[in-house]
Amino acid sequence: MDDRTGAVFDLGYKPYDGERLGRSGAIRAIVKDGVRRVMGLRRKARKKVYPWGLVVFAVLPATVFIGLAFTLNAFSPEAESPFGGHAEYMGLTGAIVLLFVALAAPELLIPDREEGVLAVYSSRPLTAGDYVLARAGALFAVVASFVLLPNLMMYIGFAALDDRGLGAALLGNLGDLARVLAAMTAYIVGYGAPAMLIATYAKRTGPAAGTYLAVMFGSAAFAEAFQRIDFVGARFGTMLSLLQHPEVVRSWVFDKQQNAAPIAAGFEPWASAVAIAVLGLVTGYLMFRRYRREL
Amino acid sequence: MTAPAISAQNLGHAYGDVIALHHLDLEVPNGRIGLVGANGAGKTTFIKILLGILHPTVGKVGVLGSDPAEDVVAVRNRIGYMPEGSCLPLAQSAADFVSYAAELAGIPAHEARQRASDILTMVGLHEERFRYLGDFSTGMKQRAMLAQAIVHDPEIVFLDEPTAGLDPAGREEMLDLISRLGGFGINVLVSSHVLPDIERTCDWVVMLDGGQVLRSGPLSGLTETNIVELEVIDQVDTVAAELARLGATVETRGNVIILSTDQFDPFIMARDVLAATGAPLRRMGARSTTLEDIFLGEAPTNG
Repeated sequence: MDDRTGAVFDLGYKPYDGERLGRSGAIRAIVKDGVRRVMGLRRKARKKVYPWGLVVFAVLPATVFIGLAFTLNAFSPEAESPFGGHAEYMGLTGAIVLLFVALAAPELLIPDREEGVLAVYSSRPLTAGDYVLARAGALFAVVASFVLLPNLMMYIGFAALDDRGLGAALLGNLGDLARVLAAMTAYIVGYGAPAMLIATYAKRTGPAAGTYLAVMFGSAAFAEAFQRIDFVGARFGTMLSLLQHPEVVRSWVFDKQQNAAPIAAGFEPWASAVAIAVLGLVTGYLMFRRYRREL
Repeated sequence: MTAPAISAQNLGHAYGDVIALHHLDLEVPNGRIGLVGANGAGKTTFIKILLGILHPTVGKVGVLGSDPAEDVVAVRNRIGYMPEGSCLPLAQSAADFVSYAAELAGIPAHEARQRASDILTMVGLHEERFRYLGDFSTGMKQRAMLAQAIVHDPEIVFLDEPTAGLDPAGREEMLDLISRLGGFGINVLVSSHVLPDIERTCDWVVMLDGGQVLRSGPLSGLTETNIVELEVIDQVDTVAAELARLGATVETRGNVIILSTDQFDPFIMARDVLAATGAPLRRMGARSTTLEDIFLGEAPTNG
């Protein structure tokens, strides 16, 4: 018979005297948690379907375009790419940003509030402003990643096919990269801010996403209507088009033709950039006010 | 000199016209502190002021010597909090959430993971640590909430109604855990309207009623009395009369005699009278009062 006996040891409580990263560590933890949450990481499988599906939609076309461009180039080196460039691709990713933030923003903010998790944040080295910035930062980081990735693939892929050689083409096309960054920022702030604002006050994620999409498409419909109404000041109504401002900025930075309602009403494209900036600031302020009550 | 765990000077808070706290003056030493009062007494408001969520309308408050209204991050660096309602993300596992709670206090990720595992073991959730919190029972959720409150080794932890909603067995386990916290060097502020819970776990009590402090002091002094209760088989009137003649305050309830005296040791007095009268004794002992007796005796709103 085996005479070995087991013993259970109560290790009790061990005080922690290791490194503490303080406020900055807490903010990084919120950003990291936010990224995991919107991508459904360490969550049930159904939470992963929507975000990863959209990421695939954002990245896959670029992969196909580059593959086809290489194939086409092998047969006909003089031929122009039929797939367009960064400006057109940003249009596609812009639509994906809209659909992504519709659910990501509520997922970032609503469970913390409705499940009482804000109480945990209120006993950590954080302020309401830290929380709002960190959550917004998480959304920005995720969306920027899937917007930049296909554009970087295209930037490098098309440079590899360039007659000037890879290095010269990369340097020569740096302007494209700057334009991508500008358009990306317009999309993330322009589409992300209303989504965050609605999620700040909504109680459930599904209705918040639905409300957001209704507001965005409704605002464009209102703007189109204002464009057609003939009375003094009606043109200012076109600036309500939350859906179109990032599109206007994208066309502006890539120097493309555009017919969005604010432009048709006679506004300069920079007015849309200003509208996006104001929207971002107002959203930040209102979020801070809301969260200051609980944090 | 060690700063008091909690202090308040002329502290007041009002929600519009409704006064929640009214001129609180307190100085509470380190240890296990009970904050008792009926619903609406101002307990949660007081805790929210300590956390820096609410600001005093008047006066000042201190947590371990720091004022949350002046430097909320400094205070929050040193505290833990278990709220009255749930604070658990239902779509996360216990291990992930408690680890995240540690990272939120600035503990590096790899250390946070280890501490989460240790603390979940300590609160009895080791086997369940990879289950989603949404699948937990009420008792398991309360333990997970306690785990997040202490995972980062705070200097003081605020527990708001920690036994709310628990069945008797779960309540016993939670009270045992709270009693152990003092031994870990963590100061504890337990807010509850269940007075026996405070009596079991705390060594100092602050009684609130209507936003005012009824009493603040060590629990042992509060519940100890110089009252002796003795039950005799007969000769009740003879014993009672003799005790009264010697200067004791005497009350009889059937065969039970309750006596108190400030002049002598009441036990000695009772022994001598019993010996002198030859009355047969069934039992005799100190009569300790409960927090409930004190609270009901002192709270004007409670009669």
